[in-house]
Amino acid sequence: MRLLFLALLFPLLGHAEPASVIRATELKSAPATDASTVARLPENTAVEALERQGGWTRIKASAGEGWVKMLSLRYGGPASAKKGDTGLAQVFNVARTGSSGTQVTTGVRGLDEEKLANAQPNPAELEKLNKVAVERNAAAGFAAKGKLSAHQVDYPK
Amino acid sequence: MSRALWLVALLSAAPAQAQFKLPDLNINKLLDTAKGVVKATHEINETEEIAIGRDVAARLLGAAPLMNDMRVQRYVNHVGRWLASQSERPDLPWRFGVMEAPQLNAFAVPGGTIFITRGLLEKMHSEAELAGVLSHEIVHVVRKHHLKAIQKGALTQLSADAAGAALNNVNAEARNKLIAFGTEMYSRGLDKGDEFEADRLGVVIAARGGYDTYGLPAVLQTLQGMNAQDSAVALMFKTHPAPGERLDTLAAKMQPVLESYSSQPQLRERFALETRTAR
Repeated sequence: MRLLFLALLFPLLGHAEPASVIRATELKSAPATDASTVARLPENTAVEALERQGGWTRIKASAGEGWVKMLSLRYGGPASAKKGDTGLAQVFNVARTGSSGTQVTTGVRGLDEEKLANAQPNPAELEKLNKVAVERNAAAGFAAKGKLSAHQVDYPK
Repeated sequence: MSRALWLVALLSAAPAQAQFKLPDLNINKLLDTAKGVVKATHEINETEEIAIGRDVAARLLGAAPLMNDMRVQRYVNHVGRWLASQSERPDLPWRFGVMEAPQLNAFAVPGGTIFITRGLLEKMHSEAELAGVLSHEIVHVVRKHHLKAIQKGALTQLSADAAGAALNNVNAEARNKLIAFGTEMYSRGLDKGDEFEADRLGVVIAARGGYDTYGLPAVLQTLQGMNAQDSAVALMFKTHPAPGERLDTLAAKMQPVLESYSSQPQLRERFALETRTAR
């Protein structure tokens, strides 16, 4: 019930995303190599990606529902069918009026090369950044709340 | 002419738009003294690194301010600070900020400041994905990738004397040029090798922090699904190897770590809850 509620509240959690398999892939009944095979998906089969668990993604295909290796998927369907410009930057800039009292005019494009080239220091924002910093101990408490525990893991050679 | 005088003449001769292109490198070379080279090539100490980082961070924030959402900012700082505590430089003054920008990007600044854009945060599905990206950036700081690039750039584009003066912050004008150069570096990008290293070691940092290690690959997969011509990803794609190449490299080199820690928490619900005002 709680999950259902969350799924309704945050569409993102239950969101299906169009994808395709980049190679012939076995659709498994569970996220494990030794799980039973539901179907064999040929290369480029269009699927809907539902959720990820470790290196596995649950998908829906016309052949059925199940799990495939996450890295055998490519999102956005075939390259030719990828959506064009989101237009996000333009819409965003019309709607937003700077939170920092910096100039608000047309032609503000968020963060691009020209902005980086012409940027002047903004000490007020730097001060805000200092204020939101978190102490090491507080971060450890936050991790514990999420049931995250630290491990010793070595860098690869 | 004394070196100090020469430096003033040199800097005033360079028009503001020309950034680091100084008029006559041969003359600069003649004036490079052993002392100047030592000043500019010495290992930059942590205090200097932090000072350079603060100056660069202030500029980046001039390009895009912080998102005006304390809850999201604090949340990202908690995740980031926890991960940084698992790194080899746990005691830097780590700061994390979400920039108010629709483009998808993330920046690591020397001395422990890390930014991600709102556009990138909006594309994520879990705390493990956020942790994957922050861990990648933390590695850039731990391995001093940007600091070394700034130092190298200063040396090739300024005389050794001017570079030394800029790095040590004893000449305001030289310093300004250095920081402007350091900020523009985020338009040019690092060496590919630095990015691949940040991917590999970033997966380790996320594993150490107790997160599902597939967070970074999941974000890369999201990026791979986007159109490279989309203006929201243009700068990120220009400054990083292609997401597909990064995924292949991770799969080839990091399989044991990815698999061993893949069942650690993703924290999808906490992420959705803490970032809902940003969506």
